[in-house]
Amino acid sequence: MIEKLQTLWPEITLFIAACAVMIVGLSGTRSIRALCTPICGLALLIATFLSLGGLGGVDITVTGPLPVLASYGKAMVGVIGVILLLLIPGVVDREFDAAPGGPGEAPQPPRAFEAIRSNTAEFHAFFLFSLMGLMLCAGADDLIWLFLALELTSLPTYVMVTISTARNRSLEAGVKYFFLGALGAAIFLYGFALIYGGTGSTNLEAVHASIVAQADAGGINSITMAGFVMAIIGLCFKIAAVPMHFYTPDVYQGAAAPVAAFLAFVPKSAGFFAIMLLTATLGWSFGASGTELPGPVHSALYIIAVLTMTVGNVLAILQNSIKRILAYSSIAHSGYMLVGIIAGPGGGGGADSTLSRNGLSAVWFYLVCYGVMNVGAFAVVASLERRRADGTHDEIDSVADLRGLCASRPLLGWTMVISAAGLLGLPPLLGFFGKLPLFTSGVGAGHYLLVIILGINSAIAAYYYLRLAAAPLLESRDPAESVGGEIVESPYRLRTAAGLISAVGVVALALGLGGPLGSAATSVGQSGFAPSYVGRRAADRSPAVIPAAAHTVDDEPRDVEPAADGSVDGATIESDGGPPDARFDHAR
Amino acid sequence: MHGCLTSCGVLPGALNLPMPPLAATEVGSYAPVLLLIIMAITFAVANVVLSRIFGPRREGNIKATTYESGMDPVGTARKRFNVRFYLIAMIFLVFDIEIIFLYPWAATFPNIDHSTDQAMIWLARIFFFMLTTVIAYIYGYRKGVFKFD
Amino acid sequence: MTGFASAMSALTGAATLTLGQSDFPHPMHQVTLAHYLVLSALLFGIGLIGFITRRNLIIMFLCTELMFQAAGLALIAFSRFHLNHTGETFVIFVLTIAAAEAAMALALVVLLFRRRETLDASAWSELRG
Repeated sequence: MIEKLQTLWPEITLFIAACAVMIVGLSGTRSIRALCTPICGLALLIATFLSLGGLGGVDITVTGPLPVLASYGKAMVGVIGVILLLLIPGVVDREFDAAPGGPGEAPQPPRAFEAIRSNTAEFHAFFLFSLMGLMLCAGADDLIWLFLALELTSLPTYVMVTISTARNRSLEAGVKYFFLGALGAAIFLYGFALIYGGTGSTNLEAVHASIVAQADAGGINSITMAGFVMAIIGLCFKIAAVPMHFYTPDVYQGAAAPVAAFLAFVPKSAGFFAIMLLTATLGWSFGASGTELPGPVHSALYIIAVLTMTVGNVLAILQNSIKRILAYSSIAHSGYMLVGIIAGPGGGGGADSTLSRNGLSAVWFYLVCYGVMNVGAFAVVASLERRRADGTHDEIDSVADLRGLCASRPLLGWTMVISAAGLLGLPPLLGFFGKLPLFTSGVGAGHYLLVIILGINSAIAAYYYLRLAAAPLLESRDPAESVGGEIVESPYRLRTAAGLISAVGVVALALGLGGPLGSAATSVGQSGFAPSYVGRRAADRSPAVIPAAAHTVDDEPRDVEPAADGSVDGATIESDGGPPDARFDHAR
Repeated sequence: MHGCLTSCGVLPGALNLPMPPLAATEVGSYAPVLLLIIMAITFAVANVVLSRIFGPRREGNIKATTYESGMDPVGTARKRFNVRFYLIAMIFLVFDIEIIFLYPWAATFPNIDHSTDQAMIWLARIFFFMLTTVIAYIYGYRKGVFKFD
Repeated sequence: MTGFASAMSALTGAATLTLGQSDFPHPMHQVTLAHYLVLSALLFGIGLIGFITRRNLIIMFLCTELMFQAAGLALIAFSRFHLNHTGETFVIFVLTIAAAEAAMALALVVLLFRRRETLDASAWSELRG
């Protein structure tokens, strides 16, 4: 228990900061309210530092299928969380802030503060709670934990979408997002229940041990298998993959751009953490070659991946709204990343499995790349707004609004070009280095058809990404077009800064920082794979592994229950000891 | 854990095995529930039927009005309530849900040896849990949920 | 309890099966794991179908709650089957999440109703692409 608590310092930091922000943000004084963003930023930086093993080398690795994932995932969340945070000012409560004032205009006088109408506190607190949930997902070693972490990630985002603008479209987006989210949660919860039913435990290591035992005994039972398939289908909501992708474009369009950027990274990462933990729990030691996921899960993921890529890319072509294009691109990217999960950790999964062979490492690497590039694209949208004659403002929406941006606002224009080209995966940029391991790991695992579909889809994607890149770079703005209002830069300059940071990140990661990141991702992909997880043919399985694995699990979270406590532990103890019939004896 | 593993192995075929017998897993032991249901239905139906048969019947305007604790009815029944009631309901929900965690904790805590560190950890844990509720309460107070004006 | 249960079984005409009797198991008159699972699957299915076919937001929300409770039922049945308390613990947390979702759903419904005076989901289709 205490050992587990020590791995949670990043989350505890965020929790304390969220509580502080919840109180501070309701202050009547504007300067105190303005502390919210710095508090969040500080907490995220401390959390990143802690997850990288700061504070005298506190060991953040957890037990479970992917032990190093906790450290890597939490650090990734912390860093990208800071960039996302820079987009946050000005999303809610603009009427209570004096707008900092764009070039050549006077700051507008703020309204008197009313706590009940203010959203600053909630928005910042929910922002931190959601990131905290994401970090908890990364360190999950139990289905209950995973379920709670996923919900902690999602529930705040529903509110964030709804309050992100005062317009009806945000409300509609929030309702769609919430209802489909609840559906997705119910489906993966049912899946978790079946997994528990089929294996008798919610601890991921114990589940894995049970699955190995079942496979040795002649096949994984159908309840467990159905549970995994349902859990993955439910999680498709989080990663915006095909059976549950309908909400994505509407929600991204209806939410304010900073929140859309948040949605494109945070719930998606949570979904990938969860899917990765579940598939790692199954292990890639099935199929004809002995290096695949078990049949039903493999087929389900395969179909989902192919449909997700294709649907995302084909529908993105038809869009004119930037945020809708980015939403469909987000769907497509989920499909790409699923290829890495299908491919698995490659032969052996040990130290010989490098980034180019290891599909899991490829996914972790790509997730960071995608996060950085995507924030850049959304930051450009967030940094520009259309100011109407009556003084109201709205976000830009159409691709045409980007025309001539490189000439008029070079920083924003080039950020958009770099982000779009990066998302496309043009060779010198980050997206290419991110996508390459996905291809090579797919080829390495022998899924040639999947890799060909991935290639075709990347080619289709070129059409709309090049549109996004060409509009600011090559086209010039027609003055007659500013009918709806002049396009100005948002008074919240931190958003431009976020765009710049991500553009610099895209270049820096491509130029050399990608090496360390790649090796970190590789270590995540290699970690924790006891021989039973990966690449073992059925004939090689030795039953000796099972009691050992079960034993380590026994020392784990279950010992939070006091040994002396008969009423809690009684059933477990009896089922541990006696003959099988003892299960039926204890009630007599 | 070993017990669990053995049971997993037989699970596919074991779906039609009975649940481990507690009293409540046998149909026969539900008989009192059935009896209670029958009694409840009989009582309700008998009351309606008997008052129909034996009760005096005097119709009139006064009798047809809505009963509001003896007062004259005011306004429409479809009246909107202040949305603040909703906020109160939310605060209630926080404490309501807190209870379902407190009960298992309270039922288990007496079984721990209170001189050990384990007991202190358990106590600290529940205090932390209560603390989160207090924070929610402070937040609600600052937000003005409890202000009625 | 045993005497009372058998008396009741006799009263209702069901086969007398008391605890500790040697003819256990008795397939016709026993609630097995499969019964719970079928019930839970039915609840889940009703919830899913309701969610897809109904357009009233509150009904849709109730359907998702039904699906949550179906999962809860399965968890408790499995918990009893495996004779450990993990599933029951899980259910407590599921209830918490369900309450949080209820709070959120009702907040959204109140907001929506104040804007449009209807709870029909199809009244909200501004976002299309």
